[in-house]
Amino acid sequence: MNPEVHERACRLIDALHVEGIASLEREWLEAHLAECPACRASVRANELALQALRSNTVIVDPALVSTTQARVRLRARELRENQVRMRALGISCALSWVLGVASAPLVWRTFQWIGLHAELPKMVWETAFALWWLLPAGAVAILVAWNQRRTANYDGYSTLPR
Amino acid sequence: MGNSLCLYVNSMEQEAREIARGLRRRDPDLLDDLIGRYQYRLPRYLWTLTGSREAAEDLFQETWIRVLEKSHQYNPRWRFEAWLFSIARNLAIDLLRRRQPESLEALLRPGDERAEREWPDRQSATPFETAAAGEQAERVQGVLRHLAPEAREVLVLRFQEDMDLSEIAEVVKAPLSTVKSRLYRGLDAFRNLLEEEG
Repeated sequence: MNPEVHERACRLIDALHVEGIASLEREWLEAHLAECPACRASVRANELALQALRSNTVIVDPALVSTTQARVRLRARELRENQVRMRALGISCALSWVLGVASAPLVWRTFQWIGLHAELPKMVWETAFALWWLLPAGAVAILVAWNQRRTANYDGYSTLPR
Repeated sequence: MGNSLCLYVNSMEQEAREIARGLRRRDPDLLDDLIGRYQYRLPRYLWTLTGSREAAEDLFQETWIRVLEKSHQYNPRWRFEAWLFSIARNLAIDLLRRRQPESLEALLRPGDERAEREWPDRQSATPFETAAAGEQAERVQGVLRHLAPEAREVLVLRFQEDMDLSEIAEVVKAPLSTVKSRLYRGLDAFRNLLEEEG
């Protein structure tokens, strides 16, 4: 047999299962296999190898599946609760910002009045006014950081038996 | 033929979209269903990848937690299993690196003593170990352990998980040509080893 023909057949036999071959090539290969026992043996060896691979079944402990399902449900609930909390936090921030902007002139006059009556330098009561505005942002930043730390510490193992 | 193929592709796309929607909602029933659906395939892949039953069990759980946490990242253009297996693979690599940081290949080298030791022993078989306790499964896993880890992985994805080449490339994050050459080499080596074993 022409070695080039045989080589082509070997290439197609391998490609058959790995990436598939065109119908014309398949026809050519079938014709070649009809007259080449060595290539037929190679096809058979490939089929046996694939059969062995596909027969490699795994049966899993049902407890693993149910534990996983329970862990996932628990984590899903945590994430949903966290999402609700973050939404509430967002709404509070927005409301606080709106209220802050709306009440700014009043708060400014209040600080000015306290400054005048307490005879404080202008710089002091103006700084106090600026700090007053930073208070809500600082509180929110602390809340968010605390929440993130709590979420990052989750390992999912503490609440469920393994 | 063409029509049925088109219907099949459409139903796959529809299913992927439904999974994506459910994942975005973090639907617990969908997740239960998916965990049940992949209860054999995912541990088999993880077991082949790590060579360890305990690691496969841990990673099975971790993979689903990660699926939940990254649920918004799933793109229904891809088959769900390709995404799932790539998450599982990343976790397996992280775990193996943590255990022994020098190289992944070193951990999964043919004849790796750790893998041999952790292979189920029939006397002390747990229900999970009955997974591959059959003679044929034991023989196949034994042969697979002698292959290069990259070849072993693509063989499992192609012939056990029935993934197409582009999906495998996505999971293993390698070019298509690399996946093909790993498959050719892996299949050849697997066939020869199986013949040697008789």
